[in-house]
Amino acid sequence: MILANYLTSAALFGIGLYAVLTRRNMIKIVMGLSLMEASTYLFMISLAYRGGSTAPVLLNPPPGQSMRALAHGNVADPVLQNFCLTAVVIGVAVTAVFLSVVVRIAQHYRTLDCDRVREMRG
Amino acid sequence: MRPAETGARRGAASGRMRPEAAEHEPLHRPLIAALLVGGLAAAMAIAVAGIPREHAPPPAIARQARTIALPKWGLTEPVNEVVYGTRGFDTFGETFLLLAAVISVVLITRSKEPRRGYFGEETAAGRERSRPGRAAPADAAEDAARRAEHREQDGQDPAGQAGPATPDRVPLGTPAPETAAAMTVVTRTAIRAALPVLAVAGLYLVAWGYAPGGGFPGGAIVMGVALLAYAGFGRRRIARIVQPRLLEAVEIAGAMAIVATELLGLLLRGSFSANWLPLAAPQTIASGGIAQLFSASELIEVGTGLTIAVFTLLAMGHDWAQDEQGDAGEKAGSAGAGTPAGRSRP
Repeated sequence: MILANYLTSAALFGIGLYAVLTRRNMIKIVMGLSLMEASTYLFMISLAYRGGSTAPVLLNPPPGQSMRALAHGNVADPVLQNFCLTAVVIGVAVTAVFLSVVVRIAQHYRTLDCDRVREMRG
Repeated sequence: MRPAETGARRGAASGRMRPEAAEHEPLHRPLIAALLVGGLAAAMAIAVAGIPREHAPPPAIARQARTIALPKWGLTEPVNEVVYGTRGFDTFGETFLLLAAVISVVLITRSKEPRRGYFGEETAAGRERSRPGRAAPADAAEDAARRAEHREQDGQDPAGQAGPATPDRVPLGTPAPETAAAMTVVTRTAIRAALPVLAVAGLYLVAWGYAPGGGFPGGAIVMGVALLAYAGFGRRRIARIVQPRLLEAVEIAGAMAIVATELLGLLLRGSFSANWLPLAAPQTIASGGIAQLFSASELIEVGTGLTIAVFTLLAMGHDWAQDEQGDAGEKAGSAGAGTPAGRSRP
């Protein structure tokens, strides 16, 4: 049942969004954003799966089959796996930027509480 | 709720102890958020119920990627063919997004530079300065703290004597506490054994073009190797390799190699990111044409980029601003030795 994976990724996205909306500690907000990113990875990898499919690797075909025949067989979607690979790298980069901004805010305002940052501004 | 809250806050501020953020959470936030998230979750559940599941036929683009991987690119790895071949432009953009992120991290975390040039405050403050009692010398405690800070930044331990050249020079069974940079002998030996294996594994992922992703996981492993060496042996052991100036130059060189690889496709084959190298036999080190070149450049770019970002974050300066009570003393005064804010102590 791949639908369970889809629903889990939707739930993960919801948990991440809830953390972003309710938490006031900026580290926890960044964690919520990372959770939202992770839910998209799960979603895309689940979307790439087909019942009983193998990884998209055209190596070691079973006896009597050529590698070309393997390409037409039951193989997971490589394009969505590529999207996932891209998303992981972007996620890492974005998290690094978020964290450096959080450290700067903490150093400037002496707090990680985003409410207090707003209060100080005006 | 509001006035009581601010009152509590003010009381806490005067007592110099701030309550943790979680201690006084207003109630409206979880309610509204639960409502919003619940609505979104319901919408998403309805949406995912209608998308193709595991028994649907694969989309045409996936079938095409699988079938052209071997004949057109000589790659047995369709994911790699998509990353560096068919969707090479996407990866190209992603690379520069990563580069932009690394540059942002370096810019944001850059410590304050001493100002150069004439701003006029020497003249403006000259009269005030000449008045007796204004430029009082710092007290002894502050001087000691500042000296300790400088020693720490120079890589010596704050007790005054220089630490050993490497953690390994510390004889076994020394009763003294471990210096911060050193890990135990067990950890260091384990790291020494694991490091070459990890480094070779990372390069192997890239060298054999049919590993999925090629340069991206390889680059992440290179960053992990640098981080592991740092964790085990301390900053000084890797300082010659992990220095921003060198890594930044190497990263830009990797980015230039990617640009050249993609542009040569435009010049030689008439389309951006087209393959212009002869195809070697599948499952060899040169299979996949430009995919392999792209992947190797990506290794340089991602490996150095992630290393720069992580080590920049680790080495962020103690640039604490003074807070509203002006009690920068214990927490930030001694830490902000290089900054003007740290110097001007009331």
